[in-house]
Amino acid sequence: MKFLASLAAAAMVAASALFAVPATAEDITVKLWSRADRSGPLRAGNIVNAAEQYNNFLAAAGSDTRIVIELIESNARGFDADALELLKAHSVGDTPDIIVAAHEWIGSFVEEGLAASLDAHIEANPDLYGDIIPELWESVKYKGQRYGIPQDSEVRMFFLNNDMLRAAGKSEEFIASLPDEVNAGNFTMADFCDLAAEVKNSGASEIGFVHRPNVGPDFQMAMASFGIDMYNDEEAKLQITRSGLENYYQWLADCVEKGALPADMTTYSWDSVHAAFRGEQALSKFHGIWNLGNQLEAFGIDPLDGEAYFNKVTWINAPASEVGGSPKNLSHPIVYVVADTPNKDVAAMLVALASQPIPNTKHAVTTNHTPINYSQVAMPDFQTKGWGLAAGVPLLAYAEFMPNHARIGQYNAITYQGVQAVETGEMSAAEAAEWVVEELEVELGDDLIILD
Amino acid sequence: MMQTQTRRQVVNAFIFLGPASAFLLVLLVAPIIVDLVVAFTDMSQTVRIDEYTTDQFRKIIRPNEEALLGFELRGSFYRALAKTAIFVFFTLAIFNVTFGLLLALTTTALPDWLGGTFRAIWLLPRMSPSVVYALLWIWVIDPTERGLVNQVLTNVFGSEPVNLFLQHPMAVIVVANGFIGASIGMLILTSAIRSIPQHLFFAARADGAGPLSIARHIIMPALRWPLSYITVFQSLALMVSFEYIFLIMGPARSTMTMAMLAYTKTLAPQIGSGQYAYGAAITLILIVIGVVVALLLYRLTNMKRLLAKPRIEVH
Repeated sequence: MKFLASLAAAAMVAASALFAVPATAEDITVKLWSRADRSGPLRAGNIVNAAEQYNNFLAAAGSDTRIVIELIESNARGFDADALELLKAHSVGDTPDIIVAAHEWIGSFVEEGLAASLDAHIEANPDLYGDIIPELWESVKYKGQRYGIPQDSEVRMFFLNNDMLRAAGKSEEFIASLPDEVNAGNFTMADFCDLAAEVKNSGASEIGFVHRPNVGPDFQMAMASFGIDMYNDEEAKLQITRSGLENYYQWLADCVEKGALPADMTTYSWDSVHAAFRGEQALSKFHGIWNLGNQLEAFGIDPLDGEAYFNKVTWINAPASEVGGSPKNLSHPIVYVVADTPNKDVAAMLVALASQPIPNTKHAVTTNHTPINYSQVAMPDFQTKGWGLAAGVPLLAYAEFMPNHARIGQYNAITYQGVQAVETGEMSAAEAAEWVVEELEVELGDDLIILD
Repeated sequence: MMQTQTRRQVVNAFIFLGPASAFLLVLLVAPIIVDLVVAFTDMSQTVRIDEYTTDQFRKIIRPNEEALLGFELRGSFYRALAKTAIFVFFTLAIFNVTFGLLLALTTTALPDWLGGTFRAIWLLPRMSPSVVYALLWIWVIDPTERGLVNQVLTNVFGSEPVNLFLQHPMAVIVVANGFIGASIGMLILTSAIRSIPQHLFFAARADGAGPLSIARHIIMPALRWPLSYITVFQSLALMVSFEYIFLIMGPARSTMTMAMLAYTKTLAPQIGSGQYAYGAAITLILIVIGVVVALLLYRLTNMKRLLAKPRIEVH
């Protein structure tokens, strides 16, 4: 009830502001920039629906003003390419009002004068934002201020095929204890590698494990396990440790050496990576919770039967690198950013409406993303269809976010070059670490702190 | 009267040379000037320039007192340069020139309809859209048993499947580009062979020359200039070519030539691109190398004589 009152009040405020101008019919065109993305059509769709709600409020208040959404859909291949397209459009004065983006681009958007701070808006509308899971706000902060509203959240994990573990002679107790062993720091990255190699060598799987075949966030959780803390919050700079990097690369090299990881992993297509796990060739894959839907389909499991799924697949965090260490996880929220345009207040209200439990749950359960509001977990849709998402929430306890730094894309691209070099046998771990640190130093200059 | 004539000459010059000059300026000269300017800026992510700097070149070279010029190339740049040289040399030497020549010689020696058919087949890679061509290659060299090469290896020869992406990446891009490059050489050389007066062949045969002697003493001398042209033109084209490398190999380190490096730093999706000034600096060096190579080849192949006015007019 309080929420509805707040919505009505918000609409009244907006409407009364509009009434101050001569009462002629007026369309406010809000430009929405969103990547055409099959994995989340409601990211843009919820804003369009929010505009409809908003127009209902305006009509009820007797206003002639109408919000019209102009959707700019880019065909970019990923969120990085999309953000670069957006920055180019912005630099020639073609700035949209609302942007659907990967959170780590916020740093760039702020530096380029694109993103508007939402702190005042969030504080002025506590009833619209009060239920958002607090940890998620970390993902939209840059230099202490919030520049976005988390649109979804997710959790990443190593998926393991239980049938293959069984075929390799592993007991049910062993399989069931894996997640806790990882969380307790007893099962390490090296153990994971050995397990994948053991299962492969036993003939239970063709491939040990697979990772993404291109630059992307997943590697951060593995790097974090080896003690690489990518970001210095206080100085707002990226950072690297040579020893951590070498250990991380050595782990990859060992995995290839033992046969747990294909040496040509970085030449795979995404289709081959997906097919390896879903087609039951690989014991394990490390990626994210949104894979759940496709896995259920591939394994022929009823989407409502969580028990059957977890009988088939085990989820673990990225194990610690040493016994007793802490496991790591990564959440990579997609966020709504409001641009610093004359429409920013209207745009922010639309984002507020789109971030409410009902629209967000529609997006979350249809695309396998974890919720942004606490109350969503109690909703019927979550209770029936969202069992997997609920199961993912405990993993979030170990989640970190990518740094919201303008040059994180470059940082990831360079560290990924090291992954390629080590896995294909072109360089040793030490050589790769040395080379990567030099490249980072050269390309990032003052934006990088080298810890050792 | 005189004034009208002069004006007409000016107008004529404008009409006849205008389109070509405009084309040259807009599509060739302007991009080089833009590249030159951008290379000395800090442009990244947006297309805005905040300052003029030589920082981009510091990413390519590093000071080294022991080096001859007081600096040396950084590892990744040196590597890209070496890979470019290997890529250009082998594609050119094996395919664009040698294989193109072989195709021209054999298809012109065959009856017209058969030669024409073979030439048409060799033109197919060039005529098909690059993405389709690249997809075919990806299937051909797929490292699993699905790949054509592996199907042949395992089913016909009974050997182990190979992973060409991993084991011979440079060979993959040389062959994939070569199959396309060979067709241009083939076309140019075929037309050159066709322009040799028929009576020379008849005379040679009357003197008892065999096919090899005809090829060596009559055809080859007529191909000198087309061969020089193909060598100069194709080496420059290959140096800046990245389309098929990217489509087939993606941003793999193993095939990161100079052109690919510039592309991945600027416009390639999902590999830390958006560093426009850095890419421009790499491209600028590529342009300088291109000019030097072109001048060298111009000198070596004596292109000046090809482009000179003929001394005798043959009617």
